[in-house]
Amino acid sequence: MSSALDITRLVKPPRSVFLNFPLGHTTGRPFDKEGQIQILKRALEFLVEAQEGGGIKELPDVWSEDWEIKLMSGMT
Amino acid sequence: MSPISYMELARKAFPDQPPYQWSTFQDAPLTPMKKALKESRIGLISSCGVYQKDQPSFDPNKNDLTFREIPTTVDPGELRIAHKLYDSTDAKKDANCVFPIERLRELEKEGFIGTFVSPAYSFMGRIFKRRELQEQMIPEFIRKFIENKIEALLLVPC
Repeated sequence: MSSALDITRLVKPPRSVFLNFPLGHTTGRPFDKEGQIQILKRALEFLVEAQEGGGIKELPDVWSEDWEIKLMSGMT
Repeated sequence: MSPISYMELARKAFPDQPPYQWSTFQDAPLTPMKKALKESRIGLISSCGVYQKDQPSFDPNKNDLTFREIPTTVDPGELRIAHKLYDSTDAKKDANCVFPIERLRELEKEGFIGTFVSPAYSFMGRIFKRRELQEQMIPEFIRKFIENKIEALLLVPC
């Protein structure tokens, strides 16, 4: 799993799944059982799906519209 | 909005220190899965600083090269988090945010994966002693993984 796309691209694990959630939520939101299950299923499926080393599957889930902006401007 | 540049954030957070030398690799050999997920033994390892309440805590600052083995049957209420360098507020309420043991148990029960291998492994991030990490800690992990016949491992960094 990855929460940091730039670092994962450098480190280049054989397979990675990027979820664009804030640090501390690598495998999902708290008490969101269904969401966590879906994230894990799509991540585990990439074990089989991956065709070339260093491949990164990006999950479409959105944490919120503006969390990145808030984090970069020091508001969170 | 594009994903956060954590390397840029790290540079800004430590302006007085020389830029951190990230590990970089040019290639990443892929070992194809030989079996379907539903027939595979899947392990879990997380760098989120999770430990069981009756186990020793971690050094929450840096360079803790120890790890904890946590039975996958553990009651999540017995888990604690030592890490201070990410916001663990939510993970302390629901460890599955960073250490998805309950969800992997359910995926095993559902038959989505073959076996969720016990124990799961936990350690701390923020290890700057790269040589000790690569020459001591990782080989020990690999011995454990082979011993427990883990066929694929879910790595959860924090």
